[in-house]
Amino acid sequence: MNPLVYMRSVSKIYEVGDELVYALREVDLEIEENEYVAIMGPSGSGKSTLMNLIGCLDTPTRGSYEFAGHSVEELDADELARVRNEEIGFIFQTFNLLPRSTAASNVELPLIYSGMRPAERRIRVGSALSRVGLTDRAHHRPNQLSGGQRQRVAIARALVTEPSLILADEPTGNLDTKTGDEILDEFARIHNEGATLVMVTHEEEVAQRAERVIRLRDGEIESDRRR
Amino acid sequence: MWKELVRLAASTLWANRLRSFLTVLGTAVAVLSIVAVVSVLHGLDKFVAGQILTTGSDVFTMTKIGFIFDFESYLEASKRRDLHPEDAEFLRERLTLSSHVVARQSTTRTVERGRERAKDVPVWGVGSDYPEVGDFPLEGGRHLSPADDRGRAPVVVIGSRVRETLFPNEDPIGKDLRVAGHRMTVVGLLTARGRGSSGDSKDDVVLLPMGTFRKAIESRGTVELMVRAADPEWMADAQDEASLHLKIRRGRKPYEEPDFSVVTDEQVLALFTQATRLIYAALVGIVSLSLVVGGIVIMNIMLVSVTERTREIGVRKAVGARGRHIVIQFLVEAVVLSFLGGAAGALLGAVVAFAVGRFSPLPAAVQPWSVLTGLLLAASVGLFFGIYPARRASRLHPIAALRYEG
Repeated sequence: MNPLVYMRSVSKIYEVGDELVYALREVDLEIEENEYVAIMGPSGSGKSTLMNLIGCLDTPTRGSYEFAGHSVEELDADELARVRNEEIGFIFQTFNLLPRSTAASNVELPLIYSGMRPAERRIRVGSALSRVGLTDRAHHRPNQLSGGQRQRVAIARALVTEPSLILADEPTGNLDTKTGDEILDEFARIHNEGATLVMVTHEEEVAQRAERVIRLRDGEIESDRRR
Repeated sequence: MWKELVRLAASTLWANRLRSFLTVLGTAVAVLSIVAVVSVLHGLDKFVAGQILTTGSDVFTMTKIGFIFDFESYLEASKRRDLHPEDAEFLRERLTLSSHVVARQSTTRTVERGRERAKDVPVWGVGSDYPEVGDFPLEGGRHLSPADDRGRAPVVVIGSRVRETLFPNEDPIGKDLRVAGHRMTVVGLLTARGRGSSGDSKDDVVLLPMGTFRKAIESRGTVELMVRAADPEWMADAQDEASLHLKIRRGRKPYEEPDFSVVTDEQVLALFTQATRLIYAALVGIVSLSLVVGGIVIMNIMLVSVTERTREIGVRKAVGARGRHIVIQFLVEAVVLSFLGGAAGALLGAVVAFAVGRFSPLPAAVQPWSVLTGLLLAASVGLFFGIYPARRASRLHPIAALRYEG
């Protein structure tokens, strides 16, 4: 069986004035199901670009990328949206919850775009919220929740579609150490339940919680170690 | 999904309620104009039809001036000689295609009884055949008679509103009142036309015998001659015949242009209808203009809204919203916005219509089709002017949108 993420000589090139800037250069990467990967690197190393490519938010300039059987470089914007909706759950540093919607509505959002019936959505939202221990906060708005709780809502939103991959971009960056640890415990639990996790971070301690650490420098993979 | 979208739009608009309110003012004004103007015009239509069509399709009127459309023709026409009550006599003896000729002269005067007083009451002097050229049903008493006319008797027939004002709770027949200071006896009471406060001409009138009118109220001035064709089919010929005799009476050659006018109620009504159409045309202009302005304001605000919510759009796209999901979301918002504006306008328009109906003689009433048209127009404006901002939102790149720092 093919790996979940399968990249071959993937480059992402931006034109800045007359110059071509390689955000990623000839990257080969494979991620198997149920792996827990941390992507590290200084700013400008290309880790955000790699993350966006893995998450199908963007397509490579060159090379081929197969994700869960889809040839990503051939997909248009709407097809990419569909892949993201069905296969990927995003967790952001700044949570990115809709401020005027309740926790439950935020978690429900991806299901609405997948065209699921309301009755089924309610069941899925309920179980996702209970997985992250927020059943009693379902009808609170983000501004009535703590930072940790907001990130849990975001995790529930990422889990609710039962995606093949969960992508977390600096998930503890806006949290204090204790809350951050709780979130990482949550990740460990999700991972043990069978999820595939890819997390971008610049904190060594956070990266050490993953079972595989990929380091990037200047758009290339500098090291790729499994614990 | 639609339910969620509408609820989402409503909550977004509510969160920015002052801005939403200001945004839809243009649309609201447009719909207000539609609903108010249409209801008032409709009232005017009914009012004028009630005023004019008091005679019948077989009656025409010969007047000194007739329809005048510019000042020069007015000056020209006002040099014409007056028509006299005796002209009615003259025509009556000669016309073969018409059965009745009635002279009528009208003015307004104060009518009093004791301390009760009604100002500016229409006072008509009429030939005694007047029931033959118009619809004047009696509620009580009798009509004016030829003997009243010849004898210049101080008698009157009054309309129901005059009775309400001067003779509340009593039978006016046989009682006296004073018209412009002259004591007159009420001999007849006209049946109320029954349109409440709408003020029909035959409710608010005092009829005097022509002889009495010329003696006591106005001894000079032109009269108009109301002529009834013996058969409705003969209308055109009857008009030609009457016109010919009146020319001869006024010393003009048969082939010369008449120095008077012949008009029918249909012509007056047609003229009025034409005027109403012009007002409708002007209304369409005003409404289109305010809708376009309102639409541009909505578009502008929707663009602002898209910019403000760039990150939200990014999040939605990240979790799987496709282009059309975003388009629909913003279109629904624009349509809900403009529709609410339209509804507010329709409500205000209805208030205007109600006020006009209540406090003026026009029986203005809200026309359901105008409300429907207004709301549809408002919603279409939101739809049309919402397309551009919505498409812009849908085309945002998810990464750029997520990174946007508002």
